[in-house]
Amino acid sequence: MTDRAIISLGNRFRGDDSVGPYILHRIRQHLGDMVPCIENGGDMTQLLEQWRDRRVCLVDAVLAEGRAVGDVIRLDGLAAPIAHSVCGTSSHGLNLAEAIELGRAVGALPRSLDIYAICGENFATSAALSPAVAAAAAVVEREIVNFLMAQTGGPPCTNSP
Amino acid sequence: MTESKTIKVDYLARVEGEGALYIRYDDGGVHDVKLKIFEPPRFFEAFMRGRDYLEAPDITARICGICPVAYQMSALHAMEDALGLAPTPELRALRRLIYCGEWIESHTLHIYMLHAPDFLGYPSAVAMAKDHPQIVRDGLQIKKAGNAIVNLLGGREIHPINVRVGGFYRVPAATELHPLREQLLQARDMAVETVRWAASLPFPKFERAADNQYEFVALSNPREYPMNEGRIASTRGLDIAVRDYDHHFREEQVDYTNALHSVINARGAYFVGPIARYNLNCDRLSPLVRQVADDIGFPPFCANPFQSIVVRSLEVLYAFDEALRIIDSYREPQQPYLKSEPRAATGCAATEAPRGLLYHRYSIDERGKITDAKIVAPTSQNQKTIETDLRLMLPQYLHLTEEKLQHQCEQAIRNYDPCISCSTHFLKLHLDRSDRSAE
Repeated sequence: MTDRAIISLGNRFRGDDSVGPYILHRIRQHLGDMVPCIENGGDMTQLLEQWRDRRVCLVDAVLAEGRAVGDVIRLDGLAAPIAHSVCGTSSHGLNLAEAIELGRAVGALPRSLDIYAICGENFATSAALSPAVAAAAAVVEREIVNFLMAQTGGPPCTNSP
Repeated sequence: MTESKTIKVDYLARVEGEGALYIRYDDGGVHDVKLKIFEPPRFFEAFMRGRDYLEAPDITARICGICPVAYQMSALHAMEDALGLAPTPELRALRRLIYCGEWIESHTLHIYMLHAPDFLGYPSAVAMAKDHPQIVRDGLQIKKAGNAIVNLLGGREIHPINVRVGGFYRVPAATELHPLREQLLQARDMAVETVRWAASLPFPKFERAADNQYEFVALSNPREYPMNEGRIASTRGLDIAVRDYDHHFREEQVDYTNALHSVINARGAYFVGPIARYNLNCDRLSPLVRQVADDIGFPPFCANPFQSIVVRSLEVLYAFDEALRIIDSYREPQQPYLKSEPRAATGCAATEAPRGLLYHRYSIDERGKITDAKIVAPTSQNQKTIETDLRLMLPQYLHLTEEKLQHQCEQAIRNYDPCISCSTHFLKLHLDRSDRSAE
């Protein structure tokens, strides 16, 4: 399992943008240290190091026109073209689509990249998760945990005989 | 009749923040240049009021994700000035070490990801990476070493959480610093190569006339290349204590921008940042850096802002050299921080953020609550100079196509690595051309 990782993007203090770190925190409670859980605050150059040669589940919030709040967009980040508007960061950094392109150019891609993008609506500082986003978070959390459990048979038993 | 022509570029990429540039020109020259920062005011100085003096470093660090250490350093030095605290040499060395990490992170990002594509003719670092993957790999490796320093001392790479008024919440043991050595040594070698590579880039020729030279302003410290402390000096004779900053500099409200313009009372626009630091403190760089500068034939005084990429690369090399020196001579502080008791007082400090001088001033009451705050970021100090550069530079490029002209403007702005978020986010470029050939 060491080649697996869960990475969240987003700011935990900005409303629906915190859904990535929120899911990460919940999964860590289920799986303990079984899978590295990495919270990335938006440094895409660092992301290249964090996902290199790993099989990655990446969770993030997005603002997508034409989609309902709480919709979950599932993407194979290495196969599907990622819209540049997904996971936009400040213009001083890279967005997720650019990070994937850059990773491809310099040989720093993950082995697999399953993206879970949850559509949010309120990204205000200190706001709570929107109800629809919180509900979607529970779905994504369950999906990722079930997926990883199926791969590994679950966390190691800690009971001593 | 004069035919008016307008060019709009929605977003100038590779700068931090949101703003717009308006240029009105015709074949006869450039008539108006306005760097418009429309990012809403962030009111940091206002909402600092009523907060505890101990909170200032962590709150102000949130002004910028690229240079949070700079905000932390200026804030905590200002508070220590107010309280009469003098950090021990050991704590001072650790602060310098974390600042080295931030210079490396910030400068390397700018050199490789933001500025280099301009010189090599690419629209972005991603496009450049497709043809020059090794250049980008090197940049990422060097930046990683800077991240490692900030992570070790600050608890995390972005918005570190371990610095405080009086010192650090926790200081590392020497055994924690030593594993960094090998990574820093390797990265320092790569930084030497970065200097040679940066110096080989094709630089547009641009120097100001003798009667319109820049006034470079930076901290100057006789003992060392400035980071955390020094007097404020300029290439036109300014030499003042930081506490006299408000007597010599003022901020002006300008109707077309949300960021204040900072000027020297006596003379107006000035220039802060790596070139200013270098020009005023070149002889205090380490022997290795001076040797490498000599090897590439780089002069001790630089007046071409397009060569800021070379100066940044020299500063990255210096930061590695300095970080290694500090690690090799490290003595763990006896106390991680000096305890402080609040008192009614005013204190100020200036430190050298990657982009230049960063001034903070705070007043606190007897309970340690902040009653007044003033923060002057490097980009707001450089705004007038950026506008003047464009006004002076453009006439020699008016023969270019509009696309190339826009690119030239963007490159000139990126010479300053502006952080618009700090000064008040995307720069929208608006060129307004009156085409006299249509007369």
